[in-house]
Amino acid sequence: MGPERNMKTEIAFTLNGFPVSLSVSAHKRLLDVLRYDLGLTGTKEGCGEGECGACTVIVDGRAVNACLYPAPEVDGRRVVTIEGLMDPENELSVIQKTFVQSGAIQCGFCSPGMIMATKALLDENPDPTDEEIRAALLGNLCRCTGYVQIVEAVRLAAEKLEKRR
Amino acid sequence: MKALKTVGRRPRRLDAEAKVLGELVYPSDRCLEGMLWVEVVRSAHPHARIESVDTSAAAAVAGVVCVLTAKDVPGENAFGIQIQDMPVLCHDRVRYMGDAVALVAAESRAAAREAVARVRVDYEVLEPIIDPEQAMQPDAPALHPGGNILHRGHFQKGDVEVGFKKSAVIIERAYQVPMMDHAYLETEAGVSYYDDSGSLTVESCGQYVYRDQTQIARALGLPLEKVRVTAPYTGGAFGGKDEITVQIHLALVTYHTKRPAKMVLSRDESIVSHTKRHPARMWYKTGASKSGKLLAVWCRLVSDTGAYASLGGPVLNLMMEHCAGPYLVPNVSVDGFAVYTNNGFSGAFRGFGCTQACVAIESQMDLMARALRRDPLAFRRDNVLHKGDRAALDYEMKTKVGAEATIRAAGRGKLYRTRGKFKRDRSEHTRSMAPYIKRGVGVASQMQGLGLGVGLPDYAEVELNFSPDGAVTVRASTSELGQGAYTAYAQMAAECMGVPLEKVRVVGADTKTTPDSGTTTASRTTYAVGNAILMAAGKLRAELDKRAVGLEGISVRETFHLPVADVKLGDGLPHLLYSYGTHVALVEVNTLTGEIAVLAVEAYLDGGRVIFRTGFEGQSEGGVAQGIGYALFEEVLFDRGRFLNTNFDTYILPTSMDVPADIRTVPVEVKEDTGPYGAKGVSETCMVGVTPAILNALHDAIGVRFTRLPVRAEDVLRAVLERRR
Ligand code: FES
Ligand code: FES
Repeated sequence: MGPERNMKTEIAFTLNGFPVSLSVSAHKRLLDVLRYDLGLTGTKEGCGEGECGACTVIVDGRAVNACLYPAPEVDGRRVVTIEGLMDPENELSVIQKTFVQSGAIQCGFCSPGMIMATKALLDENPDPTDEEIRAALLGNLCRCTGYVQIVEAVRLAAEKLEKRR
Repeated sequence: MKALKTVGRRPRRLDAEAKVLGELVYPSDRCLEGMLWVEVVRSAHPHARIESVDTSAAAAVAGVVCVLTAKDVPGENAFGIQIQDMPVLCHDRVRYMGDAVALVAAESRAAAREAVARVRVDYEVLEPIIDPEQAMQPDAPALHPGGNILHRGHFQKGDVEVGFKKSAVIIERAYQVPMMDHAYLETEAGVSYYDDSGSLTVESCGQYVYRDQTQIARALGLPLEKVRVTAPYTGGAFGGKDEITVQIHLALVTYHTKRPAKMVLSRDESIVSHTKRHPARMWYKTGASKSGKLLAVWCRLVSDTGAYASLGGPVLNLMMEHCAGPYLVPNVSVDGFAVYTNNGFSGAFRGFGCTQACVAIESQMDLMARALRRDPLAFRRDNVLHKGDRAALDYEMKTKVGAEATIRAAGRGKLYRTRGKFKRDRSEHTRSMAPYIKRGVGVASQMQGLGLGVGLPDYAEVELNFSPDGAVTVRASTSELGQGAYTAYAQMAAECMGVPLEKVRVVGADTKTTPDSGTTTASRTTYAVGNAILMAAGKLRAELDKRAVGLEGISVRETFHLPVADVKLGDGLPHLLYSYGTHVALVEVNTLTGEIAVLAVEAYLDGGRVIFRTGFEGQSEGGVAQGIGYALFEEVLFDRGRFLNTNFDTYILPTSMDVPADIRTVPVEVKEDTGPYGAKGVSETCMVGVTPAILNALHDAIGVRFTRLPVRAEDVLRAVLERRR
């Protein structure tokens, strides 16, 4: 391991609404910082190559694969993970509720990533068609469900959020 | 019977909330104070002799605590569910790319990985054995002391020659099905440590904690009670975590270092190392009379079990048992071989041999119906097995047979009834009206043995506790792999104890705190554990009548032994109970690009009474997705024993765009007399028929019979071009 790899940089960012600062090595993945440095294991690793979406988190409003995201890049940005999705009243968010309600959860290992991808989608497009939902979840693999209950959960969440507005 | 309050309904999964919050701790999430990271040095060749292993450079890497090799395995350096032919750490020979040669434990994962690269292994490279047919030859170099044929079987019923002589139609085809990866989203993972009582504890991802405990204890030379294994939750398994994966390696590191240890396989390592669905070649010859009666099924089945046995023998047994589908055939001859090669390593996977056989027999059924100009569903119905009939391997079907009910239900379904319209009218499922777009509808029917079958210990013990506040706790050692079994257990416990579902808690998969409920496989848990819950509830209610509930509450244990067939034809052969299913698929083929789209699937499933309805539908839809994967995308590829596709960029899984929105699951609830509330199981049946239904739909669409999976766009194009010529 060369000295360059061990070089640390100081980063500061907002994580689920709270300021965080820590020093990370230049090549560290955001995923490892979240899971191992900060102990937020809700974000999962399924492939480590940007293929499965289990590691999806939201950075500055965009869904990204934390397994491909270099940790130093989050400096100054806003990061939201599954742990930051609860309502202010500490209740499940609408999306989390509809995932439970629709039976979109089996082993649940894809669920945090699916839910984060859903949040990014609905923040940008509050009334997606089923086709748009499926296209938005294309990068999130699920091996247990047939995606039907997941798409239903997203649709239901969109309806409920719409009513709230 | 009184109306049921919770059974058959749609409660929320017990674990759903923890899962959507990201709070459920999966094996890969566990971290312990002072833990070491463990990484494995795997073989550099599919087949080689190990000449020497030099760990000195690896041990010198900063942060490395130990490097372990075969000589550090204190007990028997071998494991395997049925035959212990797989080394924990190889000492003289490697037989596939996933073979473990050494273990590195270090303070950080980076250090462990660096050390792995510095372990020097000198090999004498041997020619890989990659063709099962050649491997079976007497002069082939033997991969194991007993030769390369792990298991063989021959069964006969009647006389196929006579059957063929009487047949008006005879169809002969050879089928080839690929190696399939389970691709559970969470790779194999776990932690190990010594617990307060001094037990070497492994928290991991297995499907049967008591067997894992035995396998760990044997390899470490420890008494069983010194080893504790837990595995309540994991991110999917489908049979792929039935065999040992990380458990013994973890235990070994903690044993030597006395420190907690953690392992998580990378995706590439997972695909290379764990068991797969057996690739198989299947030769079939089937005959039927002019009036459409099946007269003979002859087949030769060769399954490539790869480097080690795992469950290769029983998988072949089920392939043979289910070789003629859910049909009554007077004359059957089947020969089966499970053969060792250097092509990876295969074992249990949803369907367990039935999946492979179903592809072949359901293709044959379709071809025969065509040749006889008969409706494919009617042809199946006319030949279907009934209770009291003699099955393909010549034993009597002694429990209710739901096959016909699922076929009839499929016939009443929208897709089948209006298939002509679906094929012409594009207003539904609109994609394109172009003339080069062709549509087809296909069906497939299937049966699937439930439980481990005759001759293998198959029981479930559970503990029920009633506490002073009226809460009920179910303790069972099966795992929650995602299938929703714990919710079904809670529903059954709530129902028979007369308490609301919210009052029931399920504690799972811990050799210390839960009794032995058997494997989490073979579609058996709802049935087996459910029955044990009912028995224990009876006992508990009797206790409650007799005495007051103390502070501790009242606990009882009961064991349910699965009923088995009264004949034994082999290990796990045959079964007494089966689940049944009929699938109908609508596909669309673009004959210019070769692109295939599955537009709709209907699933008619007899798993007995449905306990957890949302879970039942979810499993069925997931089965459809996996069936599509097996039909159209998935294949582990090799070049002379070397894996070519070890991540999801090249091993392609069905996405949200590949699985149709239109999946209709219809329960055909033929209540099983011995089942809890009439339930059986459905976790395999829901997938197996999907693949051949798609193949049959493709034939209907473009008139081409595909006999090799997966069917890719280029296969379609080639076939279409050939037909034009
Ligand atoms: S783990 Fe990041 S995409 Fe799979
Ligand atoms: S629920 Fe298991 S991977 Fe999606």
